[in-house]
Amino acid sequence: MKRYSIMALFGDFDEAFEAIAEIRHAAIPGITTDDITLKSPIEHPEIEEVLGERPVHIQKFTLGGALFGLIFGFFFLASAQATFLVQPQGGKPVIPLPSNFVLVYEMLIFFGVWITFFSFLFLSGLFRKPHPLYSEKVSLDQIGVLLEVDEDKMQPLKELFNKHKAVEIREGVIHQ
Amino acid sequence: MSLENVLNNWSKYRRGAEEGGHHDYEHKWAMMINLDLCIGCNACSTACYAENNLAVVGKDRFEKGQAMHWLRIERYWDQAEQEFPEQGASFLPMMCQQCNSATCEPVCPVAATYHTPDGLNAQVYNRCIGSRYCSNNCPFRVRYFNFYSYYESSWPEPLNMQLNPDLTVRDKGVMEKCTFCVQRIRVAKDKAKMENRKVGDEDFKPACVQSCPTSAMVFGDYLDEGSQVRKLWDKYQVKMGPAKQDKQEPDMRGYRVFEGLNTDPSVLYLERVREKV
Amino acid sequence: MSIVNEKDINEQIAWAKINADVLRSMANPRRAYWISVAMCLAMIACAVTAEVYQYTEGMGYANLNNPHMWDMYIATFVFWIGMSHSGTLLSAILHIIHADWRKPIYRFAEAMTTFSLMTAGFFPIIHLGRMWNMYWVLPYVSDRGHWPNFRSPLVWDAFAISTYLSASMLFLFVGMIPDLAICRDNAKGWQKKLYSVLSLGWTGTDRQWRNFRKTYMLMACFLIPLAVSVHSIVSSDFAMSIMPGWHVTTFPPYFVAGALYSGCAAIITLFVLLRYYFRFEEYMTKAIMEKTCKLTFAIAMVWTYLNLVEFASVWYGHDIYSKELLIAKAVGPYAWVFWSMIFCGSVLPFTLAFQSLRRNMPVMFVVSLFLNVGMFFERWMIVAPTLSMSHNPHQWDIMWGSIIEWAIVFGSFGWFGLLFLVFVKVFPSVSMYEVKEMVYHRRRHVVNDEAAEKFHRRASDSKTGTDEPGLEGA
Repeated sequence: MKRYSIMALFGDFDEAFEAIAEIRHAAIPGITTDDITLKSPIEHPEIEEVLGERPVHIQKFTLGGALFGLIFGFFFLASAQATFLVQPQGGKPVIPLPSNFVLVYEMLIFFGVWITFFSFLFLSGLFRKPHPLYSEKVSLDQIGVLLEVDEDKMQPLKELFNKHKAVEIREGVIHQ
Repeated sequence: MSLENVLNNWSKYRRGAEEGGHHDYEHKWAMMINLDLCIGCNACSTACYAENNLAVVGKDRFEKGQAMHWLRIERYWDQAEQEFPEQGASFLPMMCQQCNSATCEPVCPVAATYHTPDGLNAQVYNRCIGSRYCSNNCPFRVRYFNFYSYYESSWPEPLNMQLNPDLTVRDKGVMEKCTFCVQRIRVAKDKAKMENRKVGDEDFKPACVQSCPTSAMVFGDYLDEGSQVRKLWDKYQVKMGPAKQDKQEPDMRGYRVFEGLNTDPSVLYLERVREKV
Repeated sequence: MSIVNEKDINEQIAWAKINADVLRSMANPRRAYWISVAMCLAMIACAVTAEVYQYTEGMGYANLNNPHMWDMYIATFVFWIGMSHSGTLLSAILHIIHADWRKPIYRFAEAMTTFSLMTAGFFPIIHLGRMWNMYWVLPYVSDRGHWPNFRSPLVWDAFAISTYLSASMLFLFVGMIPDLAICRDNAKGWQKKLYSVLSLGWTGTDRQWRNFRKTYMLMACFLIPLAVSVHSIVSSDFAMSIMPGWHVTTFPPYFVAGALYSGCAAIITLFVLLRYYFRFEEYMTKAIMEKTCKLTFAIAMVWTYLNLVEFASVWYGHDIYSKELLIAKAVGPYAWVFWSMIFCGSVLPFTLAFQSLRRNMPVMFVVSLFLNVGMFFERWMIVAPTLSMSHNPHQWDIMWGSIIEWAIVFGSFGWFGLLFLVFVKVFPSVSMYEVKEMVYHRRRHVVNDEAAEKFHRRASDSKTGTDEPGLEGA
């Protein structure tokens, strides 16, 4: 059986929401909301109600990055100051904690931000080839609901989408 | 390796700060200047120019405030209504006070200034990138910056023969200041080491001390109990370390400039004795 | 129409129109644009000439002396760093508190942050006596085993500013990714390639949006303490010294308040310019201008308060150095700068309290420029009087900027202008997706109010969403 990818474009977010809600309530057996990808011009956190919980892992990397910045920052500075002992200054101690605190704070933020950024790049599914069914209308004002299904589910799906006033339905065969 | 380094030296450097910062030094060079004897002749300043390869910047730049005099005679007119216009001036020779808790040291971004085990505040010309924070932080304002390149203009042939080969001529962009003639200190210490003895008072003098016609300046090792400078500091009951002196006789002359700022300078000044009218 | 109930944005704007309006601003530039670019390049040329002269001849031509070892360059440095703060305020702080009126204006504010930092970064370098060695302040492993002096506030500056610059650029870039995807979808030729690369393959999937939202919020949360700490560190260049007038504990909040102030004034200036030249009246509405002005006014009052705190603490204390210095600031040779600063910084913002003036774009443009002039004077009053009248009376001296310094400062404005001009043509200066979000949520809010009124009797209806009249997304 051939696998098809099908994308329905909706002009109205609420209709897209309803379409996904119907799928969630098992309107078509064999298709769950886990298979759905939503494409939208703006963020829609409320879609999680029907799309199902999909966790985000970025904050773990952020925490890790910040802690790394903290620990690496302090030990880097302390070891640099300890080796450079030949320069006592102004009655100040060898590893001055007040001034090191400032620098460690900056390094915490530095690593926190950069690691957040890189984890975003890797975890969000960017850097992929554009999907063959990608429509520029998604960046304009329409919502796309994308699914990969077997051939026999195509017709019921199309009926469901048309019921919810889909503006356009695109389909394509997935080449194995 | 660095951890070992820290632990071995920690107590030495840490303790030093609280108790005046000079106890574990091998020497602590200090000075005493008797303002009663100072006549403002500027011989010390001229000697410093000669000894340390200081550039003469010319009248315009001097008036603009870009002079390079490491030791300057500050003249204050502090007596009103004198019979002659020249009366009433008092002179204060001001040079780097080699503070034990120097404010200039911690603010240099590249660590071009630090405290030597001799108790001197060292300026490393090669490391200086010219950010000039140290000069801004000096309350005495005794740090001078090479605003221009003087080595071509200040000593045209054959004046370049007068330069002291014991130290460098600084290029533009570098901070400099009085070093208590560290080149003479090093030579004296080397000589004493070769002869297996300690450096004493009679071994050398900085150029300014050497040239003073009234012997207003005394220089020596504060940690050497027998040195003249130590005896004078003790006589005038000024201790190195505290920010406020606790004198037995409060009227005793002897003070350090801006002592209350807690920089712990190494130069003791004896106030000028004014005649009572 | 009643001004009191005026909306921040017309919620009936079609999304297609949003795309079209913003993309039109990025179309091929007309003559006025190229003239502006030429002017900026001329200003930069002035600065480069002056800097080359100073580099070869020495810092003395900058009218520096003992005691005036800093002066104009450091004052301008603080000014540019300060201006960068309100991009962060607008983007990050207002984002966290969900103040959506920021959405049409935060993009150019963030760009202003990045470019101010890129301009400010020049000054610590050119003010050095031996700037070819400036990399010595960076901590790198050297075979001689020497490191920078981490105790020095200037090294803290190096760390803080590089962190802030890189974090701001990342924040600006990440926030722009969905917009760059829109640009990619509508571009041709070399621009299409550029945007394809920059938009990183963004297609608007829910996974991407979910991660994006989280990332943006996390970065905003980092950027706020970073912004506060960066200007506090810049203030510690002064506060960590013992000089009278500098050794003041209120310097960190004073500098941060001054930074927010000058940044907000710059936002008003750029707001008026962009609104006029790109015809963004639908997005940069007068209601949003009013909110920005009110914010600026609030910050102006905070700045004024911190000034008064400093004066009061000098008056109550008995530090004669600080006291004499404060009196000299008010009546001495720098007095005209001091009083101009007080006028521009504390008196002029009261124009922002009048609604009729707030809504008048030319007036706001002029007022915001004067507010920034006042802030520039404030930076000068921080640096120069302390140096002119420090502890040792023998070294008291009055100094003003030289032609070299002025040329370099002048050129820095040209550099900033050039960066900004390039930005508005290559990148969308209004955030399209965020404006769409703003319009979407406000429309829902309006309809919900109407629907709630219409349906309040139908309490038995449990399923929400199905009975509402259809909302057009297009």
